[in-house]
Amino acid sequence: MERAAPLAVPLGQTEVFQALQRLHMTIFSQSVSPCGKFLAAGNNYGQIAIFSLSAALSSEAKEESKKPVVTFQAHDGPVYSMVSTDRHLLSAGDGEVKAWLWAEILKKGCKELWRRQPPYRTSLEVPEINALLLVPKENSLILAGGDCQLHTMDLETGTFTRALRGHTDYIHCLALRERSPEVLSGGEDGAVRLWDLRTVREVQTIEVYKHEECSRPHNGRWIGCLATDSDWMVCGGGPALTLWHLRSSTPTTIFPMRAPQKHVTFYQDLVLTVAGSSCRVDVFTNLGYRAFSLSF
Amino acid sequence: MSSESSKKRKPKVIRSDGAPAEGKRNRSDTEQEGKYYSEEAEVDLRDPGRDYELYKYTCQELQRLMAEIQDLKSRGGKDMAIEIEERRIQSCVHFMTLKKLNRLAHIRLKKGRDQTHEAKQKVDAYHLQLQNLLYEVMHLQKEITKCLEFKSKHEEIDLVSLEEFYKEAPPDISKAEVTMGDPHQQTLARLDWELEQRKRLAEKYRECLSNKEKILKEIEVKKEYLSSLQPRLNSIMQASLPVQEYLFMPFDQAHKQYETARHLPPPLYVLFVQATAYGQACAHMKSSSQPPRQDKTLSVAIEGSVDEAKALFKPPEDSQDDESDSDAEEEQTTKRRRPTLGVQLDDKRKEMLKRHPLSVMLDLKCKDDSVLHLTFYYLMNLNIMTVKAKVTTATELITPISAGDLLSPDSVLSCLYPGDHGKKTPNPANQYQFDKVGILTLRDYVLDLGHPYLWVQKLGGLHFPKEQPQHTVIADHSLSASHMETTMKLLKTRVQSRLALHKQFASLEHGIVPVTSDCQYLFPAKVVSRLVKWVTIAHEDYMDLHFTKDIVEAGLAGDTNLYYMALVERGTAKLQAAVVLNPGYSSIPPIFQLCLNWKGEKTNSNDDNIRAMESEVNVCYKELCGPRPSHQLLTNQLQRLCVLLDVYLETESHDDSVEGPKEFPQEKMCLRLFRGPSRMKPFKYNHPQGFFSHR
Repeated sequence: MERAAPLAVPLGQTEVFQALQRLHMTIFSQSVSPCGKFLAAGNNYGQIAIFSLSAALSSEAKEESKKPVVTFQAHDGPVYSMVSTDRHLLSAGDGEVKAWLWAEILKKGCKELWRRQPPYRTSLEVPEINALLLVPKENSLILAGGDCQLHTMDLETGTFTRALRGHTDYIHCLALRERSPEVLSGGEDGAVRLWDLRTVREVQTIEVYKHEECSRPHNGRWIGCLATDSDWMVCGGGPALTLWHLRSSTPTTIFPMRAPQKHVTFYQDLVLTVAGSSCRVDVFTNLGYRAFSLSF
Repeated sequence: MSSESSKKRKPKVIRSDGAPAEGKRNRSDTEQEGKYYSEEAEVDLRDPGRDYELYKYTCQELQRLMAEIQDLKSRGGKDMAIEIEERRIQSCVHFMTLKKLNRLAHIRLKKGRDQTHEAKQKVDAYHLQLQNLLYEVMHLQKEITKCLEFKSKHEEIDLVSLEEFYKEAPPDISKAEVTMGDPHQQTLARLDWELEQRKRLAEKYRECLSNKEKILKEIEVKKEYLSSLQPRLNSIMQASLPVQEYLFMPFDQAHKQYETARHLPPPLYVLFVQATAYGQACAHMKSSSQPPRQDKTLSVAIEGSVDEAKALFKPPEDSQDDESDSDAEEEQTTKRRRPTLGVQLDDKRKEMLKRHPLSVMLDLKCKDDSVLHLTFYYLMNLNIMTVKAKVTTATELITPISAGDLLSPDSVLSCLYPGDHGKKTPNPANQYQFDKVGILTLRDYVLDLGHPYLWVQKLGGLHFPKEQPQHTVIADHSLSASHMETTMKLLKTRVQSRLALHKQFASLEHGIVPVTSDCQYLFPAKVVSRLVKWVTIAHEDYMDLHFTKDIVEAGLAGDTNLYYMALVERGTAKLQAAVVLNPGYSSIPPIFQLCLNWKGEKTNSNDDNIRAMESEVNVCYKELCGPRPSHQLLTNQLQRLCVLLDVYLETESHDDSVEGPKEFPQEKMCLRLFRGPSRMKPFKYNHPQGFFSHR
C-alpha cells in the first residue's frame, strides 16, 4: 500500500471536473506567433491557450512559465486547425474560421476580429474544418474539412472564391507547393490530390493505399498528414509514412514507423512542439529529447 | 556602808593621790548639796591609770603585810599580836581599797560598756538611716527608669499625617497657632481629632449595621414568598399537562430536555441548541394547514447518564483530595503492577479518550421514511466531538454484495465535505497529548469512538484554526448556526443518494441497468450491449490495473473512494470499466476507465476512441444527471457506456484484408463515421431524432 501515489487533495466538484477535463483533453492545433515569442494551442473543448515560449525557454523558467498566459473559449467545437499570418491568428473548428489579432490576444476578454463560414451544401450537420492553409501570393486562405471540398477565402474581402471538389471523403490535411501554386490535399478516402489554383482543377491524384509497399489495410486508407517540398512529398496516416516523388508519383522511401501518423512537417527551426492526446504540449529544443511540456 | 568606806579610805586616798582628794572634796560638796553619793560621778573624776597603780600598790602592800603577818605568826609572841592586829587592820584597809577599786573597775567597765553601747547604737541608727536612704534612692531610680520607659498608648495609634490633619481637622480642634509650635499640644490636638473621627465612623458603622439588618430581613421575607410560589407553579404545570397533550405542545418534555441539557459539555450544548432551533424553524416553514405540531424531520434527544455528568463536576477540594488519594492508591497499585506497563499505558489511553457520559442524538428523517440516526459524543480530554451514524429504512433492505460499504456506519458519512475523511483528529493540540500515551493516530479508535469529522466540530461550534493554534478552543454558537442548514441538507442528500445506489446495485448485480423512465430519452431504444458483471474491487486492486494510471496520477483515486468493476459484453467484445465512486456522489461524478478486449486490447493510451468514450461518460456527465437530485447518474453512465460500446463496435471500419463479414452490422444511424483529424466515432446521441453525431 505504500506506493508513491499522489496525495488525494480534497477535491470538490469543480476540481474533479477540471481534472477530468484535463485528462480527456486533446490538443489538435498549434501556431507560433509572428514574433516567435508566443505559442497558441487549440484543444478539443474549443479553447485556445497562449503560452509564452520566450518565458518557458528562458533560463529562469519556473512552473508558472509553463502555464498559459491566457486561455479563452474560441469555438463551440474543437479547434482542429490554426495558422498565423503576420498579424492574425486564424483558428478553425466546427464549420467556421475565426480571426484574432495577435496584438490583442493577450488581453482578457479578447473578441474575434471576424468569423466566416464557407458555403456548405448540407445543413444537417456542420462539417468541421480540419486544415487551414495560407497562400501568401494571393493573400488567401484555403479551408478544407468535413464537406470534402477545399474552399478558398480571400483574406482582404473575406469572400469565398473557389470550391474545389473531388475528394470522396473528408479532407484531413493540406500542403502548399510553392513553385507552381498547387495545393495538395490528403483525405479520408486515401487519396492525395493536387489542385491547381489558377485553373481550379485537380491535376494529379495519388491513391496511396493502392500501392502495396506502403499500404497497411488494418489501419485503413486515410491520409492524415502531408508535407511537400515542391518536388517531394511526405504523407502518412493509415498507410505507412512514405516519401514520394511527385512528378513520377512513385513512392521512394518508406519510413518504418508503426503507428499511424497524424502530423508531419519539414521543419528547419530547432524548436519543435508536438501535441496530441493529452493536455500537454511537448517542447523539443533538440530533436533528441523533450525539454519540457507546456500544460493547459 | 558606803559612807564608812569612803571615810576609811580618806586617809589612804590622801596618801596615794592628791586628785582624788579633790574629787572627794567635790563629792563632799555634792554631798552637801544633794545628800547622796554618786560613785559613777566619782569614776569620771578618777584617772584609771592611777587607780591601776593604786591597785598594784595595794596588792603589794597586802602581800607585804601578809608576809609580815606570817612572819610574826611564825615567830609567835604576845607582842606580836598587836603588830599582827595592826597589820590586820592595815590589810583590812587594803582590802577595803581593793573592794573599792573593784567597784570602780566594775563601774568603769559598765560605763565603758554603756558608752560603747551608746556609740554602737548611734552607729546602728546611722547605718539604718543610710540603708533607708540607699533603698529609697534605688527605688527612686527604678521609678525614674520606669517613667522614662513609659510609652504612652497614644503612640500606638496611627494618626493621620500632619498635612492631612491640618487640612481636614476643623480649626477649633487643630488650633494651628497653638499646635504648630508646641509638639505636645499638637499631639493632643491630633489625638482629639482622631477621637472625633472615630466617633463619627462608629456612628456610621452602627447605622450601616442597622441598615444591613433591615435589608436582610427584607430578603428573608421575599425568599419566603418566592419559595411559597414554587409549589404553586408546580401544581399549575401539573394541571396543564393534559392541556399540553391535547394541543400537541409538549413543553414539559422540552423542559425536561433543557434540564438535562444544562449538564451537557459546551460543544454538545451548542449542537443541541442549534439543532433544536433548526428543527423548530423547519417545522414552522411547513404549511400551516397541518395541525401545529413539531415536524418530525429533525428530532433531537439527549442520551446518557446525567448523574455521571454531574459527578464530573465535583467541587475542587473534594476532587483534589480524591486525586491525591487516588494518586496514592495508584502509586501503590503501580508498584504492585509495575511489570505490566502496557496495561498502565492502556489505562492512560482510555483515560485520554474518555467520552462525556451524555451524548446528543439527532434523527434526520428523509422523504422516503428512512432515518439517519446520528449520535454525537464529546471527548473531554481532547476537546473534539465525534459522531456515529446509522441508517434505518422503512422496509428491510436486502444488501447486495457490492453495496456492502454504501451504508456502513464507518463510511456512510465519509467526505461529506471534500476531504473530510474523519480519520484524523481535527485538533492540532491533540498530537502532543497522543505522543504522551503512545497513540499514533485516532484512526485506530474511530470505530469505537465515532468519527471526528470537521463538520461535526463546526456544528459544535469548535473551530481549530491551522494558522494560529489556540490554547483553548471554546464552542461558538454562530459557527454552528452558519453550518447547520448546509450540513443537514448534505446529510439528507447523502443518505438518499446512498439508498438510491443501494437499490441500483441490487439491480446491477443482476445485469440490469435500471434506467428510469424520465431518463430514457438519453438513450436509443435499442441497446444491445449488456452489463454482465458488477463487483466491488479493493483500492489496491484498482491501483494495480494497467489502464487506470492516469486517474491515479491525477490524484483522483484516494483511499476514501469506493471502487467497482463493471463488465459490458457484446458478442466477442468485452469492455471492462473500472469505476471510482467518490463519497460525494452524486455531486462528484463517478469516473470510468475503460479497457476493451476485441481484436486486441484497446485502452485510452492506444485508442483515441476509447478515450472519447471515457470522455463521454466522465466529462459530459452533466447531461446524464437526470432530474434532481440526480441519483440516476451512475446508472445513466452505465447505460451510456453500453450505447457507446454498440456504436464503437458497429462503426468499426471493416478491414478489407480480412475475410468474412463484419461481426457487428451497423444498426445505428450515423451521419458520418469519422470526423476530425483524430477520426472520432460518432458517440453523441441526438434525441429525438435518434441519430449519432460527433461533438
